[in-house]
Amino acid sequence: MSERLNIVDHNQLFRQEKYVRQREGKRAFEAPCSPEEVTSTLEYTKTTEYKDKNFARTAVVVNPAKACQPLGAVMAALGFEKTLPFIHGSQGCTAYFRSHLARHFKEPVPAVSTSMTEDAAVFGGMRNLIDGIENCIALYQPQMIAVCTTCMAEVIGDDLSAFLANARQEGALPEDMPVPFANTPSFSGSHITGYDAMLRSVLETLYNKSGRTPQPGHELKLNVLLGFEGYTGNFAEMRRILELFGVPYTILGDHSSNFDSGATGEYSYYYGGTPLEDVPKAADAAGTLAIQQHSLRKTLGYIKRTWGQQLSSISTPLGIRATDRLLEEISRLSGIEIPEALKQERARILDAMMDSHTYLHGKRVAMAGDPDMLIGLIGFCLELGMEPVHIVCSNGDRKFEKEAELLLKSSPYGTEATVHCGQDLWHMRSLLFEDPVDLAIGSSHLKFAAKEANIPLLRVGFPIFDRHHLHRYPIIGYQGALNLLTQFVNTILDVMEEQAPDHSFDLVR
Amino acid sequence: MEAAVSNGRLEVSCGNKIPKSTPCPRPVPGEASGGCSFDGAQITLIPIADAAHLVHGPIACLGNSWESRGSLSSGPELSAYGFTTDLGEQDIIFGGEQKLHESIRYIVSRFAPPAVFVYTTCVTALTGEDIEGVCKAESERLGTPIIPVNSPGFVGSKNLGTRLAGDVLFQQVIGTTEPEQTTSHDVNLIGEYNIAGEMWHIERLMQQTGMSILSRITGDGRFREVGWAHRAKVNMVVCSRALLGLAVQMERKYSIPYFEGSFYGARETSYSLRQMAYLTGDRDVERRVDKLAAREEMRLSLELEPYRKQLKGKRAVLYTGGVKSWSVITALQELGIKVVGVGTNKSTAEDVSRIAARIGDDAEYIPEGGARQILKTVRSRKADMVIAGGRNMYMALKEQVPFVDINQERHKAYAGYDGLLSLAKQLVHTLQHPVWGLAAKLAPWEEETEFAD
Repeated sequence: MSERLNIVDHNQLFRQEKYVRQREGKRAFEAPCSPEEVTSTLEYTKTTEYKDKNFARTAVVVNPAKACQPLGAVMAALGFEKTLPFIHGSQGCTAYFRSHLARHFKEPVPAVSTSMTEDAAVFGGMRNLIDGIENCIALYQPQMIAVCTTCMAEVIGDDLSAFLANARQEGALPEDMPVPFANTPSFSGSHITGYDAMLRSVLETLYNKSGRTPQPGHELKLNVLLGFEGYTGNFAEMRRILELFGVPYTILGDHSSNFDSGATGEYSYYYGGTPLEDVPKAADAAGTLAIQQHSLRKTLGYIKRTWGQQLSSISTPLGIRATDRLLEEISRLSGIEIPEALKQERARILDAMMDSHTYLHGKRVAMAGDPDMLIGLIGFCLELGMEPVHIVCSNGDRKFEKEAELLLKSSPYGTEATVHCGQDLWHMRSLLFEDPVDLAIGSSHLKFAAKEANIPLLRVGFPIFDRHHLHRYPIIGYQGALNLLTQFVNTILDVMEEQAPDHSFDLVR
Repeated sequence: MEAAVSNGRLEVSCGNKIPKSTPCPRPVPGEASGGCSFDGAQITLIPIADAAHLVHGPIACLGNSWESRGSLSSGPELSAYGFTTDLGEQDIIFGGEQKLHESIRYIVSRFAPPAVFVYTTCVTALTGEDIEGVCKAESERLGTPIIPVNSPGFVGSKNLGTRLAGDVLFQQVIGTTEPEQTTSHDVNLIGEYNIAGEMWHIERLMQQTGMSILSRITGDGRFREVGWAHRAKVNMVVCSRALLGLAVQMERKYSIPYFEGSFYGARETSYSLRQMAYLTGDRDVERRVDKLAAREEMRLSLELEPYRKQLKGKRAVLYTGGVKSWSVITALQELGIKVVGVGTNKSTAEDVSRIAARIGDDAEYIPEGGARQILKTVRSRKADMVIAGGRNMYMALKEQVPFVDINQERHKAYAGYDGLLSLAKQLVHTLQHPVWGLAAKLAPWEEETEFAD
């Protein structure tokens, strides 16, 4: 190496004086406001008066904190072995889903589109679907094709079930190839509803195809559902816990290996996922455990109705209490006692929480994200003595709101909180100014509001585009609690250090 | 050769493996696809930094796309805000026009933008929302231009969307304002999006020769500024033919001569500056450009020397959009890199013939997307690296192939003379990174097994 890597990126480059001057020169052509006007308007947007106007807004969404159904459906499809997500609609949607997931997981994302165009809009997309199936089988050799719709297909009312039957009749689609499909228009629900719809369809399709009748409890296995899960690390943690229990399990929808494959020198479209033959067998399991309840309603309903097994659903188990609950549920469903190793782990994590509690105690927090994640975060914050204040859930409903409020009421640290369902990150911005907090928790999208409010953002949830590898670490279970705790407390220490005057710049914290 | 290109006629023997390409080809069902027309229109207009961009449709189109472009602004940031009417089922059934009315009013009253661009999506096009009517009514009511962009995803490819956005600018924006002052050296840059601040480099070069940018279309652009584009003396269409239509229309209506050029590579940069200067008709400016080009090329060739040594003979597969398909090839060739494979997915016929003029039959043409195709080329042509965009980055890394990001998410500017130096450094550093060596060697236990055999 002859020279050290020094390629300035735009962060540093355009601070050079020549560029700053150039930019100033440009203002002459802009007819800009005066700096005073800019400042005063900016200040106005931080007032209560502005906040009221912002909250009176009904028509337009400014900076949403949700994505659409088919994005979730693609994630669900990638939870199964050799399964190709196939999106029925115009081509751009698929490109968006691929980049969205690729940016979060830093992994390639196979997914194809029926690429509907104007003629399909007029005559229906059947031809595109049939040709598309033929093409993608030839190109990608999938074992299963998971079809979901986009708004466009839904608006023109394409009948997937009939189209797929026609595709089979024409011979474009082999008789034995399972093709689960889900109707996932973006004008209802969000990415979590889409995940749910596709997962349910996969289970139903594979189960029906097997021609079995359910024999619940026939096997001493547990089915485990993680839902719309942005953390591959959570799958590993879930496995580790179940293995410590020694309970056999099937994860229904395991996309972790597809989003966390090695650089082996050979790229493959499919790296893993739940084996297709495991799905019908799952009907014989002793019970099903879901660690996202709001995102899995349809799927859980299906399992309950059709497979008739014991069912347990909790929200994302973040923190001590929620993990306790997880372990109790595993123990209850499997009949195995909670292993000693996990009990010790709990004590160790409690120790870590005690070590750090002084820095976290009383910190006021704003958070935005998906319903199950938020329930988990609220619980964990309360355990840490942190005070959730603003909770924004763009895709939350009444049921979530009630649960969140109940949880908040259970602790004196939750009394100040307000839950805002259906609101967006521009509402959050107003909240941050009207009633300031110490830190924010949420996806990368929250970084702009957090920066303006001059508070650190703890990146938790989906999507995280601007940090690397966070998703590889678990946030569930005791171990996950330790990871989050580490992230939380060290962020706070970083901020303290940045702000410390010389005499307070101390070594031991 | 360059002269032939600038005349729009390319009379070079291109061999027989050159793919036939039609402008804005139809997407093929069942393949991994690129962006749609909505995407194309949005990325073309969003760099107009002080305007509000409102997506009229369900959450999908905005929810999956906002904040994802690397176009930098030197001032206003309003275009980075994600505005959408977020239509729900009820709106699809009963119509979302009222919501659109209210959304526009809210945005104008709260954010006071110079203009609002309203994007049609698949859904609102299919349900037949009268977006033009709403925009017209609100424009009159509010006194702010509300501009409908009719480019729903299903009409076709991203390139087509870019063209449609060009039409929108021509019909509804350009010619609506007047600059306070003009000079005889005013140039419009069309199709330069200021990714990673590239336009600022170009602007500096132009300033040094006495030329100035009148309208930035659209990187770091301002609405009013785009409005007075018709007063320019020259239009330069940067790299892409998707906005060529705009330049052609401006030539017809306002008699502004145009040319196509690029700022990737020293040769293309000098050529573009010369062409600009030539079209302004000012001999002084031309002389200044000549001097600048000579000076910069000399400096650059000295500074590039150590990197050229290391890059000489290296083989690259380039997979990028039509925008950079041919111009980056020149830049790479100047560094001594051999382009052994090139994507033509989003390239127009003209782009393809330019690619051909630069690499002829020596390289593999990859007409369609799909990781397999790219990787096949990498293997069969023994490429040392892949140069592409984010969606294809990770599959290259799986194959342990060095990768350099050239698309909209990169943070480094590669345009102009300094840009070529940055690109050279980036390529050398990428190739030299220790991880490739680590990956290429067997793990110690694997080596032992080999000995045992």
